[in-house]
Amino acid sequence: MKTTRFLSASAGVAAIAAAALVLSGCAAGDAAESSTQTDSGGKITVWVDPPRVPAAEAFQEAYPDIEIDVVQIDGTVGGKTVKQSFANFDSAGSGWPDAIFFPSNDDIAWATSSSSNYAADLTDLLPDVIEGYDPAVLSFCDIDGQIRCLRNDAAPDVFWYNKAFFDENGYTLPTTWEEYGELAVTIAEEHPGKISGFLGDAYAINRYLQGANCPTNDRVSETEAHIDLSDPNCERATELLTEMYDGGALSTQGIFDGDAAEAGVNLVMSPGAVWWGNYLFRDTWKIPAGEMSAVAPLAWEGESSPSTGNEGGGLWGVSSHITGKQLENTLTFATFVATDPRWQVDLSTGLPGYGPVQDAWLAKIEADAYFADIPSVQQAFKDAAGAVQPYAYMLYDTGSVWTEKVSPTLISGGTVPDAIDAFGEELVNQAQSVGYTVQ
Amino acid sequence: MTTATTQAERPRTAERSRAAAPAAKRRAAKRRAPHRVERRGAFILMAPYLLLFIVAAAIPIGYAFWISLQKAPTLVNPQTGFGGIESFVTVVTDYRFFGTFVNIFTVMIIWLPIMILGIVAMALLIHASPGRFGGAMRFVYYIPGALAGIANFVLWVYLLNPSQSPIAFLWQDLGMTTLKEVVTTENLPLILTAMLFFQGLGTWIVIVNGGLNGIPDEIFEAAALDGANAWQLAWRVKLPLIRPWIGYAALMNLAYGFQLFLEPYLLRQISSGSIDSEWAPTQLGYAFAFTNRNFPAAAAMSIILLVITLAIGIVIVFRSGLFGESEEKAR
Repeated sequence: MKTTRFLSASAGVAAIAAAALVLSGCAAGDAAESSTQTDSGGKITVWVDPPRVPAAEAFQEAYPDIEIDVVQIDGTVGGKTVKQSFANFDSAGSGWPDAIFFPSNDDIAWATSSSSNYAADLTDLLPDVIEGYDPAVLSFCDIDGQIRCLRNDAAPDVFWYNKAFFDENGYTLPTTWEEYGELAVTIAEEHPGKISGFLGDAYAINRYLQGANCPTNDRVSETEAHIDLSDPNCERATELLTEMYDGGALSTQGIFDGDAAEAGVNLVMSPGAVWWGNYLFRDTWKIPAGEMSAVAPLAWEGESSPSTGNEGGGLWGVSSHITGKQLENTLTFATFVATDPRWQVDLSTGLPGYGPVQDAWLAKIEADAYFADIPSVQQAFKDAAGAVQPYAYMLYDTGSVWTEKVSPTLISGGTVPDAIDAFGEELVNQAQSVGYTVQ
Repeated sequence: MTTATTQAERPRTAERSRAAAPAAKRRAAKRRAPHRVERRGAFILMAPYLLLFIVAAAIPIGYAFWISLQKAPTLVNPQTGFGGIESFVTVVTDYRFFGTFVNIFTVMIIWLPIMILGIVAMALLIHASPGRFGGAMRFVYYIPGALAGIANFVLWVYLLNPSQSPIAFLWQDLGMTTLKEVVTTENLPLILTAMLFFQGLGTWIVIVNGGLNGIPDEIFEAAALDGANAWQLAWRVKLPLIRPWIGYAALMNLAYGFQLFLEPYLLRQISSGSIDSEWAPTQLGYAFAFTNRNFPAAAAMSIILLVITLAIGIVIVFRSGLFGESEEKAR
């Protein structure tokens, strides 16, 4: 500690500059070099976040002949360490992993930007794999008509509810978002402490604003973004959240917060991703078996079809900087982790994004016997993907802006409209700072 | 300068007074010889520092300055080249630029006075408590400082969490029941003040105490003979004599404060992202480099920070007489 301070007077500031800059290498004019593809002769390096380590291990077991280096990376959603590494690799023109599980889905934006161009176009490399996906599930990977990644799991929001609680108290399930808001307030009045949603995590934006088809992440082109929080679609979401928050039905916690476990057992209903079932309810919050169930997403009043968001559902990317045997092995790896039942069915906690293995995974729900009303859950999981509203991952980190602005505004005494305004303003600022023209 | 003049004048002086002053010549030679040796010795002793300075400071600063004058490729225009002061304009006109400095100054205004007062008061108290007790207390105060960096941070993660903290009653009395309610952007200056104070206090007590130990005993004896009590001794004798040490502590803590990065960065992670990600100037520089991929702007930010820290440092050095003593000796 002391050494740092002695250095700090002058050299410290410079050291920060040095760290940023020496690594940046010749930022100017090396872009041409990085387009040369290399071949290691077969050995591949893959980067995975901690939950995806078993996928890489399953691959090693299935393909013992392929030499592979598995690197575990920081899996924090919205974390910056991977971005930092890639900014350095892109500047240096070397160092990239051959395949990666992106810790945040937003990462696909920089990985396909012209300043990085890391993620290879898989359209012609893996046509058979791409064929197996529902285009709605793969839409996040479809950048200007090229498929630049593979979906690990599909993560549409379904409507979760505590069936045991509903049965016991005789509540009827809502079918529209408006009914959900009203019922949430009624339940909060009649059963103080029972909540119907979480606002404080980076996915709450998807749960509510994407679910309302609010243009927060509307990619017009590589350089233009459309952000308009005054859109009627955003206003209906703001009204819903205001009603629920003022009625004491929403928590300012995020689903991943340590403190959320306590609030989690009091959750009676909420839109939420399909992975909430196993990951949150069963494994994290330890809600007893036979209570939680899911139905298809809700519709907005006056609309015939349901409308929902999508929370994560990770993306696998392949390097555009490799060729030959190295590329071949990397594609084998990507195909395995995206489609092979040994990972997708046996080990993965999320609903597979790849269609042909979905039924085998859904069948496992029956064997688990954790959910109440299993056929309803299975049907909801299958139907939800089609109701997901358009949402593009952008170079600005929407989820981080949400967590910085919404819960803190509410905690310091602000209203939901205040929070949404602060969020919208910061989003526009961030978008412009990154270089977008905001419409 | 003086040495150079002497050497230049030597031949003429020697010629003119060859016969007249052989003694003076011998004296001059005697004076010159150790000078040359001393100078060579000084350079040898300084060489490792100079080498490190060039590698770890001069070259990076020069390189940062050069990078900051480049033009960053943007999404709209991937062209690079010479950009003049463009990146400095980008930095200064960024909507977060002034906010980050307001944030850091808020911390400084709260933390630095408490820190300096704490260091001086504790060091004087320890110095006034001779024997075993003083030594024991010096060690006790030093303990939090020994928990460097990450260890200290992890300790604070527990202290700040109302569901785990031994001081949870404090948070609950203030109406805060979750970590998200404690770790907010508004509370950040207070949290950082507490973290930095406990982390740095002990080390600085030891350093300032070293300064106090360097004061000759005769001065205290003289003050005692004049009838000074312990309070007067501390206020009128010890305090003025350790002024350079206080200046040094202020300078180093100020420089450290300006470079705060790790603490707000990690506090953001443990609060699940409810603290602004570009809270400190260094974090804004980091965002320029790795979120916006604008290395020239990141370099410009570093240069701006360097200029500010150096300017404040120079003021403190001259106002506290930090190097005054040695200069006087040299004269």
